[in-house]
Parts: sequence; C-alpha cells; structure tokens
Amino acid sequence: MKKILPFLIILAVLGVALGSAWYMQRSSSESPKPSSTTPANTATSSSPSTTAPVASNAVPGAEPAHKLGPDSAPVHLEEFGDYQCPPCGIFHPILQEMKRQFGDQLQVTFREFPLAPAHEHAIAAASAAEAAGLQGKFWEMHDLLYEHQKDWKDAFDVRPIFEGYAKQIGINVDRYKQDVDSEQVARRITQDGNRGHSLGVKGTPTVFMNGREVPFESLPADKLRVLIQLELSTTAR
Amino acid sequence: MKGAVDTQLSDSTPERHWVYIIVACLSLVGLADAIYLTIEHITGRSVQCTIIAGCSEVLSSSYAVISGIPVAMIGAVAYFTVFSLAILYLFGYKFTQLLLLVLVGGMFIATLWFLYLQALVIKAYCQFCLISAAITILMAIFLFLVPRFLRKKM
Repeated sequence: MKKILPFLIILAVLGVALGSAWYMQRSSSESPKPSSTTPANTATSSSPSTTAPVASNAVPGAEPAHKLGPDSAPVHLEEFGDYQCPPCGIFHPILQEMKRQFGDQLQVTFREFPLAPAHEHAIAAASAAEAAGLQGKFWEMHDLLYEHQKDWKDAFDVRPIFEGYAKQIGINVDRYKQDVDSEQVARRITQDGNRGHSLGVKGTPTVFMNGREVPFESLPADKLRVLIQLELSTTAR
Repeated sequence: MKGAVDTQLSDSTPERHWVYIIVACLSLVGLADAIYLTIEHITGRSVQCTIIAGCSEVLSSSYAVISGIPVAMIGAVAYFTVFSLAILYLFGYKFTQLLLLVLVGGMFIATLWFLYLQALVIKAYCQFCLISAAITILMAIFLFLVPRFLRKKM
C-alpha cells in the first residue's frame, strides 16, 4: 500500500486540478452568454430577455448621457470605457464600424469608467472628454483620446497633450482648462462610475446591449455584428 | 554544487522532511494560481482591463505565450511536477531530490525573468503572476537555503 500511496496522492491532485480547470472554464464561458449568441439559437428561442430592462437597482449615470444615434433606435449599446485601457482602444474602431454599418438602427452611449489607480491618466482623460463635452465636442475629444492612446498613455504629464487636443477640435481652451478641474466634470465621471458599479461592471470595455451585458468574447467586430443583427431581428418581430 | 546535493541526498533526516512537506503545500497553491491564470488566458477575459490592475496587459502581452502555449499553463505543469517529486521524495524515492532542485532552480530563474518583464518591459504587474513569483521564490528558499542553514546548526 505504502508503495502506491504517493502515486495515488499525485493522481488525486491531478484529478482535482483537471476537474477544477474544466469547471472554471465551463462556468466562465457559460455564465455571461445571452441566449442569442449563436444564430442557431434564435430560430428556436424567443430570447425573452431581449427587452428586459436594465437591472432594477441600476443607478442612472450622468445626465444628459453622451449618445450617438436616435433614442428610437431598436438597438442600444452602452459602453463603459477607460481611455487608457488598451482593449478599449482596440474596441473603439469596432464600435465606429458598427455605427457606420447600422446607422440609425443603433444608438451608442458612452459611460466613463476610469480604472484608477491602475491607469494613472484614466481620470485625466475622462475629465478631458467630459470638459470637451461641456462645449458640445465630447465625441471629437473621445475619438482623439482613443486614437492617440499610445501617444499619451506613457507620458509623464498628459495635461499639455490634452490641451493640444482641445485646441485641435476647436473648443475654447481657456474654458476647457477651467472645466477640466471643475466639480461638474468630476461629478459626471462619478455618476457614470456609480452606474457601472450598480450594473456590476468590473472591467473595461463592458458593453450592454439593450440592458444585457455582451460577453467580452463577443466584442470582436464579426461577433458583435451578428449579435446586433440578431437583436434587430428579434426586436422587429 | 554537485557535492552539496550528494551530501543532502545521503542525510535525509526527519528534520528535513518538513521542508519537502512545505514545498509540496506551496506547489499546490502555485498550481491553483497557475490554473486560474491559464483559464483567464484561454477564455480571453484576461484581455479585458479589470479593477484588479494589470492582469490584462500582462496576460495579453506577447510574453504570455511561448510557441503557442500559455506561460500560465507551463507554470501549472511545473507546479504539478514539483508536487509529484516532493511527494515521491517524502515516500522514500530519494532520486527525485536532484530533479526537484533542478526544476525549482529553473523555475526560480524563469520567475526572475518574468518579474523583469513585468517591471521594465510590459510596465504592468499582474496580481496572480506576482503570487506565483512569491511561491516560486519561497520554494527556492526552502529547498536551497533552509537545508544549508539546518546543516550548519547541526
């Protein structure tokens, strides 16, 4: 018995290790997937959660929210993003592509979710976008921040860079400098953050489609496109 | 170095056994940590930025994969091997000691390399990668330094 005991222990540990790996992999790939992930599902299921409202305990976030597209659009995408987060930078052109393709059938809302202190300039970037928003140029600043993420994310001082962007998009730079530190801007970021927390957002980018979280694995363009098309077909019914 | 190993091989006193029990326990923690990181890597959730800082940059970097195999998975196999060798040693298979020293030595060097990458190249730390680094360093201390200290005392 003593001879085989060590091998039994080793086998038991191997079994537990493989079992837990399998369980973790299964639970992480199953839990966030909505019923409409694959086209095959839609034919049979009526996807009952499609029109389900956002979790009832969700707080509203900053108002007015930054929205692209009409309120009447059948598909609403709400992104919680951090300008310094590399995957958000990768997701940015994907979302632009979706907007171009689906036009008025899609409404996009952006919520600030700066992951401070992990990303040291995230709050400064969110403030820059919000300050530009006070002069009606939120999306212009938003685009510049994402498109030039690599240029500023490792900079020591981002203020002059963002002021350069303010100048570039043609807003009043003096007012921008005041607004960027204003309580109003800070409050908007906090309100968006609170909304994210109330929805259980843990990372960025997190995207909700008509109130349901889109699994992170489905954010590449080809997969997101299919999900939007499915959502359009179910809402049209 | 070879001589030191040989003398350790010959005098496997009961006092030394607890070193291997500790190493076996540490390797189990390391195994759990490495499995978690492997799953994070494979499911792609690792690519997301999370409130727990850093993991995204580290696990999604090009250094997280060696010829197509996630580093975390290699780590899981290494920790499992350490556990197996330590258990075998405790049950009297003394030849495993040398293998264990070589393996943990290699893991220690790999850990230093990954710490360097995180600190100076990727410039981001990953919490669970740091836990793994701490475990490997502890294992190395228990295998290489503690027996020496014990021998001096005796």
